[in-house]
Amino acid sequence: MSTFGGDDVDKVINAMRTLSYERLVLIGESSIDGSEGLREIELLEQLAGREVEVDHVDKQGFLEQVDAVSEALTKHIHDTASGSRNTVALNISGGSKILGDAALLAAFRIGIEAYHCAEKVTKLPVLKGANVVDMFTPLQTEFITCVGDRDLTLDEVVSRLGNKSRQSAERILRELRRAGILRTEIRTGKIRVSLSELGSELGRMIRMTRGERSVTRR
Amino acid sequence: MFGTLGYRPKSLIPTIRSTPNVEKVVFYCGADKHEPEAVKKVAEAKSAVLGYCKSLKIAVDAVELEDPFDFKGIALRIRGDIRKHKREGKDIGIFNIAGGTRPTSSAALLACILEGVPTVYVHDLTYEEIHLPLLRMEYSRILSGEEREMLRRLLKARPAEFTEVELARLVGKHKATVNHHLRNLVSKGVIRLESHSEDSRKRIVRVEESAELLLGDDS
Repeated sequence: MSTFGGDDVDKVINAMRTLSYERLVLIGESSIDGSEGLREIELLEQLAGREVEVDHVDKQGFLEQVDAVSEALTKHIHDTASGSRNTVALNISGGSKILGDAALLAAFRIGIEAYHCAEKVTKLPVLKGANVVDMFTPLQTEFITCVGDRDLTLDEVVSRLGNKSRQSAERILRELRRAGILRTEIRTGKIRVSLSELGSELGRMIRMTRGERSVTRR
Repeated sequence: MFGTLGYRPKSLIPTIRSTPNVEKVVFYCGADKHEPEAVKKVAEAKSAVLGYCKSLKIAVDAVELEDPFDFKGIALRIRGDIRKHKREGKDIGIFNIAGGTRPTSSAALLACILEGVPTVYVHDLTYEEIHLPLLRMEYSRILSGEEREMLRRLLKARPAEFTEVELARLVGKHKATVNHHLRNLVSKGVIRLESHSEDSRKRIVRVEESAELLLGDDS
């Protein structure tokens, strides 16, 4: 997969030469449709008996673009028809600056092999299959998922967690609060818990790594 | 605060304004030396930011990038500078990645992800600041100490090449232990095992270029 802006064919060709691939997917704005550049790449692929797939990312905001690229990556990783997983490598050098940066962030978010293919080709230090979610324990991710977009009392969280003791829940709460993932406040004598902006982002990443394709930004 | 700068001072100045108590601004800029127009525009933008900081009595350091299209070189430079600041006990309040060439901006974003620096993007048209909710990729929590040590040794020894047995000897571990860690590193895409050119029973451990960016100046 490669980000593409319509006129930066060289970067995509560099990626095509550097990485072995079976299927080429371009990520770019709708305006790339019908561009000279896209036609050139399509012709090259036709010579190999292949078609180019194009995923459109037309979001304006940076984080919305990150979500859209992440969604496209997740879609191609999980092959719903066969139920298998595809190996995806991403080149981030094409397209606008905002799209390239969004793609970089998405690669780290999901943990896929990523490259910056320009005159020089740089492999990015993304560990395959490893993402930020891996840095949290299963209990911590369960806590984050359980809180979600809600504003809950600690008692409600303990009850939703089911088989966890209040002591464990309090320990996780302290850990996540220290990491800036959770916000807490005391209202009417009760501890209320909600996710910070960072925590919400982590929540989205947890849902994506579980294979949810469309994880909307609220 | 840190930032990247291209042609538009307005992509950097809003962050200087909105960040309280900025003591120093460090920004990275550079233009293709074969393009006089680009050199002129970057020089004008640099001068505008220097003037702005001077007026506000904020210390400023403009870092000229030798090659603003060398993604890896810029990423290593910025990451090294961030680490130096941290070692000196200085806080980096924010890193604005909106300006500069595409490779400069992406390299800065990469350094921020790896170092956990708060990052901001400024919208091209509205100049609105967008704070990126970045979670630091702490590979120390994903790669074991032994795996990191092997990577460091391999990077330091480049261009020398090692077989699995030679690497085991180098790190002072049993071959089976080293083999286990190498398999993990292969699955994470950090190293490759290639057949030895003279003895097909042996395998050469090749470290991916990205490992250098992964470990930063730890290597």
